[in-house]
Amino acid sequence: MVTSHEIDAIVDTVFKKTKADELELTVLSNHNELTRYANSKIHQNVAQRDNSISLRVVFGKKVGSASTNRLNEAGVLKALNKAESIAKHQREDPHFKGLPEDVDRKTKNLDSYCKETAECSPEERAKRVKDIVDYAGDEGVDRVYGSLSTSVMSLFVANTNGIRRSEEITKANLTVTTIADWDNDQGFGWGESCNADIDKIEHRKVVELAVQKGLNNLNPKKIDPGEYTVVLEPLAVNTLFTYLSFMGFSGKSVQEQRSFMNGKFGEQLMDERVTMVDDAGYKDMMGFSFDFEGVPKKRVEMIKNGVAKDVVYDSYTAGKENNKESTGHALPMPNSMGPMTMNLVLEGGDSNIEEMIKETDKGILVTRFNYCRPVHPVKSILTGLTRDGTWMIEDGEVQYPLKNLRFTQNLLDAFTDVEEIGTEQVLFGMDYYPLYTLSPSMKIPKFNFTGTTEF
Amino acid sequence: MRDGASMEELFDFGLQELEKRGITYGDIRLENLQSEAIDVKNGSVESIRHGESIGYGIRVIQGGWGFAASSDLTKDGIITTIDSAVKIAKASSLVSDPVVMKDVDIYEDKYLGSNDVDPFDVILEEKLDILTEAESRMRIDERIKVSNAVFRAWKIHKFFGSTEGARIEQDITQCGGGISATASDGNDVQTRSYPNSFGGDFHSQGYDFFLSLDLIERAEDTAKEAVKLLDAKQCPSGKMDLILETSQLALQVHESCGHPTELDRVRGTEASYAGTSFLTTDKLNDFRYGSDLVSITSDATTPYGLGTFGYDDEGVKAKKVYLVRDGKFIGYQASREDAEDCGLEVSGNMRADGWKNLPLVRMTNINLEPGTWSRDEIIQETQNGIIMDTIKSWSIDDKRLNFLFGTEAGYLVENGEITSRIRNPTYTGITYDFWGRCDAIAGKDDWKLHGVPNCGKGEPAQTMKVGHGCAPSRFKDIRVGVGKW
Repeated sequence: MVTSHEIDAIVDTVFKKTKADELELTVLSNHNELTRYANSKIHQNVAQRDNSISLRVVFGKKVGSASTNRLNEAGVLKALNKAESIAKHQREDPHFKGLPEDVDRKTKNLDSYCKETAECSPEERAKRVKDIVDYAGDEGVDRVYGSLSTSVMSLFVANTNGIRRSEEITKANLTVTTIADWDNDQGFGWGESCNADIDKIEHRKVVELAVQKGLNNLNPKKIDPGEYTVVLEPLAVNTLFTYLSFMGFSGKSVQEQRSFMNGKFGEQLMDERVTMVDDAGYKDMMGFSFDFEGVPKKRVEMIKNGVAKDVVYDSYTAGKENNKESTGHALPMPNSMGPMTMNLVLEGGDSNIEEMIKETDKGILVTRFNYCRPVHPVKSILTGLTRDGTWMIEDGEVQYPLKNLRFTQNLLDAFTDVEEIGTEQVLFGMDYYPLYTLSPSMKIPKFNFTGTTEF
Repeated sequence: MRDGASMEELFDFGLQELEKRGITYGDIRLENLQSEAIDVKNGSVESIRHGESIGYGIRVIQGGWGFAASSDLTKDGIITTIDSAVKIAKASSLVSDPVVMKDVDIYEDKYLGSNDVDPFDVILEEKLDILTEAESRMRIDERIKVSNAVFRAWKIHKFFGSTEGARIEQDITQCGGGISATASDGNDVQTRSYPNSFGGDFHSQGYDFFLSLDLIERAEDTAKEAVKLLDAKQCPSGKMDLILETSQLALQVHESCGHPTELDRVRGTEASYAGTSFLTTDKLNDFRYGSDLVSITSDATTPYGLGTFGYDDEGVKAKKVYLVRDGKFIGYQASREDAEDCGLEVSGNMRADGWKNLPLVRMTNINLEPGTWSRDEIIQETQNGIIMDTIKSWSIDDKRLNFLFGTEAGYLVENGEITSRIRNPTYTGITYDFWGRCDAIAGKDDWKLHGVPNCGKGEPAQTMKVGHGCAPSRFKDIRVGVGKW
């Protein structure tokens, strides 16, 4: 990781040498380690260390940026010169209102750093993988797949308007897929767990669940597509929730009129029990307490008791509207993505999976969804498939496994017609984007399945 | 601040250090990646980003696999990283079988990709002039809510060396861009892109490829198409003959042939993430993937392909292999390890997303060979069909069987003529059944090479740039218009 001494030296260099009106420096350090296993053997085992700096410079309303991972003086100055050269040749952007000012916003201190995670060795990860593989083997499942990763990430942001923040966080993530073989058939099962503290990843519990799902998923039956009641486990709900956020909870998507929130603010958009917020300070949440512009994250209520309330902003999108401020949701700037939710919470209800199943005459229990994509973002239509455990519920009990089904569903309809929401919220961390989510289980009476597959 | 040696000095030092360790196998890949990204949107230059990333990845076999990567460009950094890779390999051996890689020819060579005009030498103003003019020409109507023009360029300079004696230096330049217009009338939103969605089209080629796209000339028509889609008919539901234009067919090839023929997927190494494959090894040479017209290759030698290179990231020389020939499934994309374990040939498809990632089996250029029809003949010979153009939405199951794809635009074909425009077109099918319904493929004159810069795979997540060449093709009786609208 970049030391504080090294950061001081970089700050000293760029802030002294720059000729720009405004300057923003971001230093991002990553140390990721990941052990990947397949067919019950470790087949990939990696460590990555990288440190990079990004510079955003401003001359009037002209903005340029450059990044490098060469942290010696020559590399840093080369990036600064490049950013300044770009800015000088840039066109003026009338919407740019300047780099963000510091704000007095209290973000609850996240407990997102754990020494044990940061120092976890490849041997320790291998031992846990061996325990997973051995347990599954003892239960008759000889093919186990997944990964156990540990990472440390530090973020430092400073600008000429007085912002100067730094934070270091850790993340541990375990996934387990089981493939149970029996009588020429395969049963897929799944389990996962994410935490800042690797010792809170209960790998035995995760593999037990995955093994149980795999063994209960043999000889699945094919059913006709159509409209079914679904009981969605937290990971399945999480996927729908996350895509809904991608499709409409950004200030940029609203400004470009491609959000389902457009024209709906203040209106009842979903069931009154549905509340969706972005809150870095929520209990058990992970991640940084400030964004990539150094602005502390604000709790934003996107959907409150089913009513469309607000979306998230970075300084640029906030500057395009009257009376808006950055909510602390900037990605590395400048970017074409716009602000993004980073700490999504779907509030829990008063039910649980067992009760939902018990109260279902006929329905489908879904472990998770695979390869979801928006078909029409403004209409909030999403398609995808079930994966790693889908079962038919009849007369209040799980009866038999099903071959995977494709859904094509309007998500606003799904979240409007909600029958039950689970109390327990499960934490998930995305692997390719700094997004953490807390999602409960959910029962939805009408869910459109439009196709089936062969397994 | 940190000081470092030159790239070549570090590479030589790393190779010497690996050779000293007495390990079963070791390789070092040292890369310098430069990137430039320009986005112009709604009258503003939204962002100009320039990036440089230098580092190296060390891969070793010592009992099991170990890989460590670092941007610490010092000799101490190299030693620490090799130590880390060896330590990781030893830890892997607690839960792994011995690793054996298939023998291959070992090369000492330099490869220089096509780069007639270096995009990084072209002044910024010139690129901005083209993008801002193209973007402004799309603002034809108040219903155009978003107009966007994009430029991207990448330049990779990399060294690969191994304890087997390989020493390869490569320079590859990639470039391209595109435009898109999004129209809204308050009730619906429709987007039209040129020459493809998600940023445009890309080649392993210099600035000349970006110029050849003629973004300014195509801007107004692209915006008009977006506006017209607002009033177009909703895609009909039912079974129809489907004609795919090349920008969409490239995705079809990518998802339904490219990914399922990756042998690492077949063997389960992506089972918990991207998924597995229906093309299991028992089907090799004994499975009808498509109709007799369908032949698909993996070809890292395709001129200008976004997946074109001299050598892959384990030092295997670029080659062309058949995956499907005359409809029959006959080949895989295979690493040295997969090829050894399965008794198959190495295909030269091991590629890493930059220095910090481990090479995986990745597509190079997966190409559908041209047929004998022309695009016009296919349309003229279609009685009740629909043309679909430009990727909008793509989803496929984790064995690559059931897919549902959506495109930006569709056009009804009735009695051999295009009669009306269709919005929200979607189609669905099962991969081998779909390709079995292919009854017409256009010829060389209509064959086009597309670049896909955003193929995801692996943990930690990697993004790869791949190419797909194809010509417009027809598929009989395909289910279209899926879902409630």
